[in-house]
Amino acid sequence: MATAVMTTLDPKSRSAARGMSDLTIRNLFIIPTIVFLIVFNIFPLLYSLGYSFTDFRASSAAPATFVGLQNYRELLNDPFIWSNFAITAKYVIVSVVGQVIVGFGVALLLNRDIPLKGLLTTLLLLPMMLSMAVVGLFWKLLYDPSFGIINYTLGLGSFEWLSNPDMALYAVAITDIWMWSPFVMLLSLAGLSAVPKHLYEAAAIDRAGSFYTFFRITLPLVAPILMIAIIFRTMEAFKTFDLAYILTSQPTTEVISIRLYKMAFQEWQTGRSCALAYIVLIMILAITNIYVKYLNKVKER
Amino acid sequence: MAAVTTSAERSLNKLAIVGVLIVTIIFLAPIYWIASTAFKPRNLATTIPPTVVFQPEISPFVKLFTKRSQLRTAPTPEQYAAAPWWERLVFDGGEKVVRSGRGEVQWSGYPSRFMNSLIVAITSTILAVGMGTFTAYGFSRFKIKGEQDLLFFILSTRMLPPVVVAIPMFLMYRAVGLNDTHWGLIILYTAFNLSFSVWLMKGFMDEIPKEYEEAALVDGYTRMEAFFKIVLPEAATGIAATAVFCFITAWNEYAFALIMTNRRAQTAPPFIPSQVGSGLSDWTVIAAGTFLFLLPVAIFTFLLRNHLLRGMSFGAIRK
Amino acid sequence: MRKTMTSMLAGIGLLLACGTSVYAQDKELTIFWAEWDPANYLQELVNLYEAESGVKVTVETTPWPDFQTKAFTEFNAKGSAYDMVVGDSQWIGAASEAGHYVDLTDFFNKHNLKEVMAPATVKYYAEYPSNSGKYWSIPAEGDAVGWSYRKDWFEDPKEMEAFKAKYGYDLGVPKDWKQLRDIAEFFHRPDEKRYGVAIYTDNSYDALVMGVENAIFSFGGELGDYSTYKVDGIINSEQNVKALEAYKELYSFTPPGWAKSFFIEDNQAITENLAAMSMNYFAFFPALINEASNPNAKVTGFFANPPGPNGDQFAALGGQGISVISYSQNQEEAMKFLEWFIKDETQKKWAELGGYTASAKVLESPEFQNATPYNKAFYETMFKVKDFWATPEYAELLIQMNQRVYPYITGNQGTAKEVLDALAADWNATFKKYNRVK
Repeated sequence: MATAVMTTLDPKSRSAARGMSDLTIRNLFIIPTIVFLIVFNIFPLLYSLGYSFTDFRASSAAPATFVGLQNYRELLNDPFIWSNFAITAKYVIVSVVGQVIVGFGVALLLNRDIPLKGLLTTLLLLPMMLSMAVVGLFWKLLYDPSFGIINYTLGLGSFEWLSNPDMALYAVAITDIWMWSPFVMLLSLAGLSAVPKHLYEAAAIDRAGSFYTFFRITLPLVAPILMIAIIFRTMEAFKTFDLAYILTSQPTTEVISIRLYKMAFQEWQTGRSCALAYIVLIMILAITNIYVKYLNKVKER
Repeated sequence: MAAVTTSAERSLNKLAIVGVLIVTIIFLAPIYWIASTAFKPRNLATTIPPTVVFQPEISPFVKLFTKRSQLRTAPTPEQYAAAPWWERLVFDGGEKVVRSGRGEVQWSGYPSRFMNSLIVAITSTILAVGMGTFTAYGFSRFKIKGEQDLLFFILSTRMLPPVVVAIPMFLMYRAVGLNDTHWGLIILYTAFNLSFSVWLMKGFMDEIPKEYEEAALVDGYTRMEAFFKIVLPEAATGIAATAVFCFITAWNEYAFALIMTNRRAQTAPPFIPSQVGSGLSDWTVIAAGTFLFLLPVAIFTFLLRNHLLRGMSFGAIRK
Repeated sequence: MRKTMTSMLAGIGLLLACGTSVYAQDKELTIFWAEWDPANYLQELVNLYEAESGVKVTVETTPWPDFQTKAFTEFNAKGSAYDMVVGDSQWIGAASEAGHYVDLTDFFNKHNLKEVMAPATVKYYAEYPSNSGKYWSIPAEGDAVGWSYRKDWFEDPKEMEAFKAKYGYDLGVPKDWKQLRDIAEFFHRPDEKRYGVAIYTDNSYDALVMGVENAIFSFGGELGDYSTYKVDGIINSEQNVKALEAYKELYSFTPPGWAKSFFIEDNQAITENLAAMSMNYFAFFPALINEASNPNAKVTGFFANPPGPNGDQFAALGGQGISVISYSQNQEEAMKFLEWFIKDETQKKWAELGGYTASAKVLESPEFQNATPYNKAFYETMFKVKDFWATPEYAELLIQMNQRVYPYITGNQGTAKEVLDALAADWNATFKKYNRVK
């Protein structure tokens, strides 16, 4: 496609002779962005790579000493860090599975003859557009065992959502599910509306049960787009910080971003936190890679 | 979906309608609760059973905007009578309005944080969308070596957890004095949103038939003229949608703002949780601050509803 | 399109200009503190200074859990947003060694503040290292942990009778931790939505540790030897194990959802009829004696932290000194302000406004002690206070203590002995890392 444009533009043509050449324009349009991103994203990472091999503390005037791989070694041997990763993994699984079930379920409902469908869909999208930190804070009141409306409505008495160490992570995940199920719903709706109608008609003629229709027709056709939603949410859930940080301070909800934040900006172990950041980064890159592969696959369809 | 034919189908459909309504109510309940708490008197914010019907009050907003201080004893009747109506609302809550040495009423931190949020979100949106539009055009129209890799690189920058980037950025900003400045945050948000805007705008650009520009080029336009006079107007809707998405992201951002700003450039998201109160919790004030803060986003969501899918999925999926 | 863009850009420029011009005023000082009532009282106090000198002073606040992070982020960024900070006592080591605070030794000696201010406040808020004669801040807000309680519940004849029958002594203000526990147990009635006691449990900063310290110090224990950094056998001593167990037991008498509670929740326990007794810093008591903010104001009483089994009576120290930040561009103005702040009249006014002055003369005056129902308890407590480590790595020590103690108290994990042994090992490793012990 791009080649087609290039070839139609004869370098000796009148228009190309006036003004800047396509090559200049291309560079002018693209290079600043790339440079900007390198300076503000890649360069800082290189900068912190260097610090990750030192015992540097940003809170002291003492110069950094090179300690080799010590930070990495100690971090990977720290049981607290591993439990942070385990918590993160659990959180990702619970919240993503919850979002897929709720989101896809609502999409199936919406994919019928519903009056005011457009308005309802828009209303359902509201939670994910709001600030996690600000709205998350309010969920503290909703969860409150003495005054919260959740316990009151569900008749749970003084059930402890955030104070019970075993429940707190689920409580955070529920808030996350509330915020982000609409996202899965939106993508699922797009997938569902793309399923050709004649397939359902054919299934109806064959007297196929709704069960069969769902598993043999609907699900396989929506699966790729659902996969995108899942990967998107997995990455976001892996990065999660605001919600868990604001809602609770339970050790059982200390996801890796929170640990990293505490290490870097409360304990001021700058060198070590750089090393931990790199460990997290490598994991993120692995997930991103999977993501882009799927994205390209879906785009090819 | 297929036309409703059988009676079983019809009753199933009714069930679906009921289901959707229930889900919508559940999903909107927390937002409704924020909005209603913002207009409650303090003693009704934490009642069991929850208060649903009440006389709305403006006092949470008065408290939101003023600096207040706890009173140990009630004000004298003379003081009360001499006070303007809004100060009486504060007196009723057991507090008084703090005045400066010159007698001026002191603002709370909220208005300046709200202003900072506006400054940072709007400026970074303009920068990100501006640069993103140019770059997207470049990727859409020209042949670029390693295009896929570059696009992947651009995308990957968005995938970094904010805390990971914040550590080195904090150190670099410290070296150049950008901590706690508007520009420091603007740069971060621009970098953060740029990848998003490139991906989204590229999708919109790809949809503009290149024949339009080719015709213009044949007519003697330069490439630049064609870009500004033909492509940009065609892309206006896409630009607007991208801008709103970038704005919402910057407006809602928390982690960078928490780490990189303290006072001068602090935005509302890290500030609002700090309104929890100084001696007693006052959920009505938090609700009032949250309510005002959510309004612009709620409005934009309605304006944007047709572009939501595309924006949320990085343009990977088109409607 | 381009036109709209240009006008939008112009608009932004204007916004930015407005945003910055606010800070262009020349004579202006900013004091950084945490979000609580004393900060508001300080704002009122400094307003008087503005009226006198024309220098505008602003007290900026941030919530308690973020206070330390925010302050040190700003210090470490060598930021000049704040000229002075009313910083926690534990910070002195970190802030003075890193050069964040201006050395106030000369100022201190010149005004003989060692005599003017109460001894505990000089020792914990101002001097670092211990007994070095070097001072980094001016004691500003004295504070310690005390207790509030529901007089109406305590004085209900039916309750008194039932209590006497059950425990064999009269229901009243607890005379020791054993009685505190009994009373908490007695009033803990989840079926009636009434609970025994409200204590600190928030582990995001020092709340939980302060609460536990109240038990440890009153049980006769210590956190460690602050001069030799020896911790093994001290932090995990027998008294401390008992103290930690006692604190954990109190947790079982708290209202539901009490796992992240600090001053707001603890005051709320009184105003919302949740608990019979509530632990809190004295600085948070003003809200409890005003009927507009506490419907139970008339029936709320106060008492000092009770002694432990051996009669030791101590309380965890709160409170802060005011320091000048090295990166401030208004240091001279700040020093002038401090000169004004330490004047006797100013300190007296400070106490009247609701601040807890550290000035010995004001504290001892009957006016002060009779000003509120809790001032006397405060005066008594201020001579029986102990504090956390003040070494530069105190933040790590604090996080380690939270990591070990919190799951035990709120999550039933391990035994008190195991927890404190593990903590002793953690602390020892940290001190080794910083070459404080071999």
